Formats: sequence, structure tokens, C-alpha cells
Amino acid sequence: MRIRLSNWPGRFTRNGFKLVSGIGSGPQVNRKQVVSSRFTLLITVLLPAAVILSIVGAVSVGSVTIKFNETWKIIINHLLPWYQPFDQTWRTATEKIVWDLRLPRVLLGGTVGGILSVAGVAIQASVRNPLAGPYILGISSSAATGAVSVMLLGAFRFLGNFALSIGAFIGAMLGMFMVITIANVKGRVTPVRIVLTGVAISAFFSAVTNFIVHSAKNDEGVRSALFWMIGSFAGARWEYWPLPAVGLILSVVMFMALSRALNAMILGDETAVTLGVNIQTLRMVTVITAALITGLGVAVSGAIAFVGLVVPHVVRVFTGADHKRVLPISLFVGAVYLIWADVLARIIVAPEELSIGIITSLLGAPFFVYLLRKSRYSFGGKSS
Amino acid sequence: MSKRFLLALLIVFLAGTLCFAGGQEETSSNADSSGSTINNKMEQTFVPFTVTTYGQEVTYDHIPKRAVSLNAHTTEIMLAMGLGDVMVGTAYNNAPVLPQYQKEFEKIPKLAGKYPSLEVFLNADPDFVFGRSSAFQEKSVAPLETVLDYGIMVYVCKGSYTVGTTMEDVYEDFQVLGRVFQVEECADELIRGMKEKIEAVQKKIGERETLRVFVLDATGDTAFTACRSLETSLIEAAGGENIFDDIEKVWARVSWEEVVERNPEVIVINEYGKTLSSEKIAFAKSLPAMADVDAVKNDRFVVVELPAIFPGIRNADTVEQLARAFYPERF
Repeated sequence: MRIRLSNWPGRFTRNGFKLVSGIGSGPQVNRKQVVSSRFTLLITVLLPAAVILSIVGAVSVGSVTIKFNETWKIIINHLLPWYQPFDQTWRTATEKIVWDLRLPRVLLGGTVGGILSVAGVAIQASVRNPLAGPYILGISSSAATGAVSVMLLGAFRFLGNFALSIGAFIGAMLGMFMVITIANVKGRVTPVRIVLTGVAISAFFSAVTNFIVHSAKNDEGVRSALFWMIGSFAGARWEYWPLPAVGLILSVVMFMALSRALNAMILGDETAVTLGVNIQTLRMVTVITAALITGLGVAVSGAIAFVGLVVPHVVRVFTGADHKRVLPISLFVGAVYLIWADVLARIIVAPEELSIGIITSLLGAPFFVYLLRKSRYSFGGKSS
Repeated sequence: MSKRFLLALLIVFLAGTLCFAGGQEETSSNADSSGSTINNKMEQTFVPFTVTTYGQEVTYDHIPKRAVSLNAHTTEIMLAMGLGDVMVGTAYNNAPVLPQYQKEFEKIPKLAGKYPSLEVFLNADPDFVFGRSSAFQEKSVAPLETVLDYGIMVYVCKGSYTVGTTMEDVYEDFQVLGRVFQVEECADELIRGMKEKIEAVQKKIGERETLRVFVLDATGDTAFTACRSLETSLIEAAGGENIFDDIEKVWARVSWEEVVERNPEVIVINEYGKTLSSEKIAFAKSLPAMADVDAVKNDRFVVVELPAIFPGIRNADTVEQLARAFYPERF
């Protein structure tokens, strides 16, 4: 079977079928039914099961060897605090490691993986550019500027562990706000203008960050903040988890409701307008929502590379371009991907830790290239 | 929400007491740890106190029973104070420990080649940790606040985060550790010994013009050098003057042009890692602009090992080593 991901930014085709559903002519009815029942099974049973199994597996692995059943006794005891089914036969240190380090870390990894993938899908659609990702609005570099300035100025020190996160989030929002404002000329925001403004703002904030790092007197903390921005879940805590998780759920619900409009948008502004989509408002809403959840993710884990760009493409290769499918599948695939990437980050150089950004790029890039070659990907023209 | 939190806190607290009781049992059943009874006696007279370290107030409320040291030079300080018995982990052992402590050092588990992950660190179940400020970062073990949240007492080596560190800061580390572990006599003894050694060196070199000294830490397009660090204080104590002591940073990159302009009489090479000091010397000599610099012309290079210039028990010996190299005719 030849899978093709071609003719971007128009439509993706698979086995010669146009799968740009929701608009225009769909494939034969019987085929559609087969595909959609398989899809329902995938989305409601198989993928959630994969996520849960990943969580179970990932919590049991780490630089310290802890018995599988001990790990789960600890977690079940914590989940049922009034019942406490198991007697404590383990050391307190083990309990701290499982409950305070590993579980929040795995959950956060899955959540951020979902965030980056969903944001990637939304941004790629709204700027109609396959090279776009969640960081296209300069979010990663402006967040880095926020984080290093917090370390340099000692701002938000009273917030303790949250200082770095809040600095990064404020930076991210500032970057996003600048891009949106600058790209907006006479009430119109075109995809090209967003992308190029993002590139410029990104370069600007990188320079500011480097300048801050350079001029710091004792730069240990500042350098560390910069390193942290490459991405790591080593600092995960329970308190970091709720906000990104809620943001992710809300945004997925919203994007799913807008999935038809996103499908229309990918066909181009003119087509979308003829299909009755208010293109300007829609673009603003999707871009800002995607940037917002990306900011929440970056604030707790740094800017992890090559997830938001790759996962949507990989998913499209298998599902076609319909956002009703791409969005939920990307959510789960992204979650599973980042959970296991983090496991590798923890065990490859144990008892030390690698930055997860290294893992995601090291695995993601070759796999992506392999898929592109296999599926005869071409950009904006006929596949050759 | 707050109910669950309280419950969790209670569990942690209960677990903590359990562990504490378990730990005590272990020490008393351990026959060859003769210090345990003395320790228990002291426990009763221990007065909790608070110290500000790396911008955080830390309260020491009992004598630590399970201590971890995260750097080579901090490990040496603890071993020199006779704390090997209570140490349950060392890390970042990038230089061989002094031979007199080798045997004791080998008994202590090594947690990691560099900094251990938080998981590995907690698994050692420490109640006290001593290390450089670089250890207490998100990318290393964990930020100071996080470590404190786990109920672990922390002391951060003062020289690792202070711009313009002097020997007084090194002595302060000894004194705080002495107080925490109730071995103050030992700390005072160490300090006295080092002060005497430095005084003796200074008496020998006597009155003289100061020597212009350049520290070469790493080579490259620009030179990486020490500015307002402990190394500068040691150079000053040995009768030299760091030509870059005007830069208000601990370390900095400077242009070779500026090095030539300031014309050092001696170059101090920091030896560590995979780049040999001989390679650094060869590089400095290979730069045409450096040919007329006094230190290169007279071939005056001194090699010091990194632990010798980090705050610790070797600093007085470093002063002597530098003074001998600066003023060989006076020794």
C-alpha cells in the first residue's frame, strides 16, 4: 500500500481518495463507514489504552530500581488514602521517589506531549505552512528570555519553585502578543506575515537572552535557566500539572468543535471564505489558543523540540488531513511519544539525566525523514 | 483539596517518624560505630540554629545522620572534619581525593559521575547535603527550595556563589559545618593550620612588588579566565595580582589582545578534564601576539589542579605552591 502525503498546502490524498471530508465530495459510503467505525475503536479504546499502559510502564522505570509491585502499591495507597490497602514495606525514600517524582513527571510528560501536538496541528492549519510548529510565534525564545530574566533579577523569588515557570509564561505571552500585533496590518493577518514576524521576534528574543546570559555576574543560575529551556521534566511537581491539563482539555474540545472550519482554512483563504468561514477571526482564535496552551507547557517543561512539528505530520500520513481525526489522534500519539522519550532521558545516562529535547530530536528527526521518503512527500506540488 | 493535602502531609510526617526511628535502631545496633553514643548525648544538647545560604534561610535542628556531598572539594572538607562515618553518598568526583582520605572515601557510595538525578539523590535517603551552588539547579540535582521541601538540610559552599570569594568565606564553610555536626574544635583546628601556613608563606616572600598574573582556564578564540574568584584571592595571598581582577564576574572570556596589553609576568594554568595543561601552554605559546608577553618570553607557567583553587582544605597549600613559583629565590 502506498501512502501519500502530497499536495500540501492543498489536500492530502491517500490511495487516491480525497480525504478532505466535511467539504466537497466524500469517498464511497461503505468505505467511509468501515473507516469511521475503525476510527471510533481507535480513538475510544486503543489509544487511551496505549496512554494508560505507557503511564503504568513509565512510572516503573527510572535511574533507581524499584520493584514493579512496590511502585503500584505506593500509588494505590495514595489514591485510596482513607483505605490504604497495603502495609508500608518500603522505605520512605522510595515512596517519595514514586509519588512525588515519577508520577507527576509521567503525567506532565503526557500532558505536554498532547499540548505540543495539538498546538502543532492547529498552528499548521491556521498558517497553512507545513514547517510551522507550536513555537512559530517565537514562544520558545521569548519564554527563555522570561526565564533567564527571572533568574537574573531574582524576580518572583517569593514564589519559590514557580518563579521560573511564571517568568517563562510571561515571556511566552509577551512574544505571542508582539507577533500578533505586528503581523496585524489594517485588520488583516496573513499566514506569511505571521510566520515571518515569528521568525524575527524569535531572533530578537534569542539575542536578548544571550545578552542577559553574557552580562550576568555569577551566571550559574542564569545558565541553568537557559539549559532548562531546552526541555526537561526533571523538575516536575504535582503543582505543575493541573493548569496545563485543564488547558489541554479545553483547547481540544474547542478545536474539535472547529474542526470543519480548520479543514476549510487549510484549503486557502479564498476557498474558506466561499465556504462561509470567517477566516480572520478563526485564525486569531486558533493561533492565540495554541500559543496559550504552548505557553503553559513551556512554562513547566521548557521548549521541547521537534514534537509539535513532527507528530501532526506523522499522524496525517496515516489518517489523512481531516482535523476531526488528526486532532484526537495527535493528542494521544504526542502523549505516548513524550512519556517514552522522557523514560529514555531518565535511563540512558543514569544516574544522571539527559535533556528530553535531545531525545525527541534524535528519535524524531530520522523517523520523520524515513516517513517522508517512504510516503513520497512533496510540498506544494506534484509528488515525484 | 486542602483536606487531601493535609492527609498527604500527615502520611509523609508519619512515614518520616517511622524512618527516623528505623535509622536510630540501625546506628545503635551497629557495633563498630563508636561515635554513636557520643552523638546521641550531643543530640540532647543540640541547639537549633539558622543560617542563610545561597539566598535561603536553612534551619539545622539536629545533627545529620546521613550526609551527602555533591562535589569533590566539598567531600574533602567533610572527610577532613572526620565526618566520613555519617556520609552516605558523594558525587562529581572529577579529581582524585587526597591520599590520606582515600581509604575512607572508598567506603562511601558514589551516587553519580557528575550530579545525580533527584531520584538517585533521594534514594540515598540523606538528611543533610553539602555542595556547590551549581548542584542546586533544575538541570543538576534540584533547586534548593525543592531539596528543602523534602526535609533535607542544605548547606551551599559559600565560595561557589560569592563574587570576590576570600579565604574568610572558606573558613566560614568550615565553621558552619563544624556547628552543624558539633565538631567545632576540628573546624577551628583546620582553620588555624591553614592560617598559620599562609602566614608563614607571606613572611617568607616579605615586602615586594606585586607580580602580574594571568589565569588561563580554557583556551580558544578568546581566553577563559578567573576574575573575582577565590583563585584571585589565593594569587594575592601569594604576592601576585590577577590582571583581570577588575572584571566584576567570577569567570569571564577575555580577548587575547587584552591579555597582551596587560602583559602578565606569570601564567597560572588550571588543570582539569581532558585538555592537558601542556596543551594549554602550547596554545598560548603558539599565538604570535603572545610571543612578547613576559610570561611567555621567560617561560613562566604554573599548573594548579582545580580542587586546589576551589574552596577547601588544599587552599593554603595552593598559596604556598603559587608563592614558590612566583618567588623561587625566597624559598
